Amino acid sequence: MRRITGEQVIFWALPLVAVMWLAAFLLFPGFLPPMSPKWSAARVAAFYRDHTSRVRYSMVLFNWFCVALIPVLMLIVERMRGMAHRTPVLRYCVIGVAGAAPIAFLTSTIFWLLAAFRPDRAPSLTQLYNDLAWITFTCGIPFLVAICVFLAVSIYLDQQDRPVFGRWVAHFNVLIAVALVPAGFAGLTLSGAFAWNGLLSFWVKNVAIAVWILVMAVVLGRALPRHHEGLGTPA
Amino acid sequence: MTGGDGRSDPKRELWLAWYATVAFYSLYAVVFFVVTRTQPPGKPWYGPVEVAAWFSGHHRGLLVGFALIFVLGGLSATSIALITYSIRRMSVSRAFAYSYLILYAIAAVPGFLFICVAMTVGAMRPGRDPAVLRWLYDLGFLSFSGTMGVFLVGSLIWMTAILLDQNRVFPKWFGYMNLCNALTEVVVAPSWIFHGGALAWNGTIAWWINVVVFGLYTGVFITLLRRMILREDFGRGPLPDLAPTMSGPGEAAAEVAAA
Repeated sequence: MRRITGEQVIFWALPLVAVMWLAAFLLFPGFLPPMSPKWSAARVAAFYRDHTSRVRYSMVLFNWFCVALIPVLMLIVERMRGMAHRTPVLRYCVIGVAGAAPIAFLTSTIFWLLAAFRPDRAPSLTQLYNDLAWITFTCGIPFLVAICVFLAVSIYLDQQDRPVFGRWVAHFNVLIAVALVPAGFAGLTLSGAFAWNGLLSFWVKNVAIAVWILVMAVVLGRALPRHHEGLGTPA
Repeated sequence: MTGGDGRSDPKRELWLAWYATVAFYSLYAVVFFVVTRTQPPGKPWYGPVEVAAWFSGHHRGLLVGFALIFVLGGLSATSIALITYSIRRMSVSRAFAYSYLILYAIAAVPGFLFICVAMTVGAMRPGRDPAVLRWLYDLGFLSFSGTMGVFLVGSLIWMTAILLDQNRVFPKWFGYMNLCNALTEVVVAPSWIFHGGALAWNGTIAWWINVVVFGLYTGVFITLLRRMILREDFGRGPLPDLAPTMSGPGEAAAEVAAA
């Protein structure tokens, strides 16, 4: 019987984790449709009073599982060892941002949970937590952009007959990085495509992240070693 | 400077990381000093009304400048990666390199993401209660200058590695310069207490001296990293066509040792 490798365990945990992410996304009452930054403080406070439980359950789920992206990113880092690079510097670049990317999101879940913790506080303070949550969530993209850019560069430089990832994966990462960029400007306006509930800052950005996870999971799955042999001596 | 065409230049990854480092620190200086004008920092003794006026005076700059950081801030990882690589080249345990990498990687969230978020949230609603605006103002400036331990311990880790190193990757005097950088994180601690004077977050000691030391330190380490890359000898041969397909712990070490 073939033994399952540790990497396969991490990899096949991803669909389970993705179910949690999707459940949390659907459970949060402020995503479909996204809350408007133009809501008055009174309306924001009423939202947290009316939906206290769903905010708590969804954000606890996100808080638990958003960082589960890190082991998957480490699988990608391990594949980078097989690239025709002379130094580990690009791998260090990816490791350097792999932690901060989900931690930025985790920080936004803390602000959402704080907003829901005392729904009867002054509405201006609940609005403050709500703004902090949405800006951290929407604009907190620098590490995701960097992961895409570092991966694209790594793949472009992996010039060998059988590269670890196909060249199109590099183009794909550039495309996703570009799709994330508008979200960084969400603070500039309360309405329109760039606002935190707008076409670019909410829909394009979040669909891009979902597509990135899906596509990278598929190419990662193909690049995973199938057997135990060649994995070196067990540590 | 990079020399050679892309395929055959064995130092291309190092040069890319180095140029990205230069680009990041240039952006960083322009955003903080010119676009957002959050350096030199606002006055810590401002009352709520003055803070509200500060936000309206800096409105557009804060939003545009920090948006640029939201998009490009992740480039900061290139300098961390190069420095981690420099420590791997030294005759010290890998624990030094990995400590440095982790310390600086996690510093990004409290060290610069918080100020971007706090100032953006403050600027996006000019009509917000001035007392709440001052809360954001304090969060922004104090998280930025008051995230200390990472840079304190990180600099000491790098210093110790340089002083122990037998490969002479960096000159010993730069090891001691790390101590100067670490000391700036010590003298900035009183900014958590004082609202005015030399020790406040905009004061002569906590800001002016610190920014000069940090500026010099950064300029010097960027120059020394460039010299390290220039001195790096990978030979002139082309890159390997087939990288090791799978590496276990032993092979990974060999790979870095060869680099």
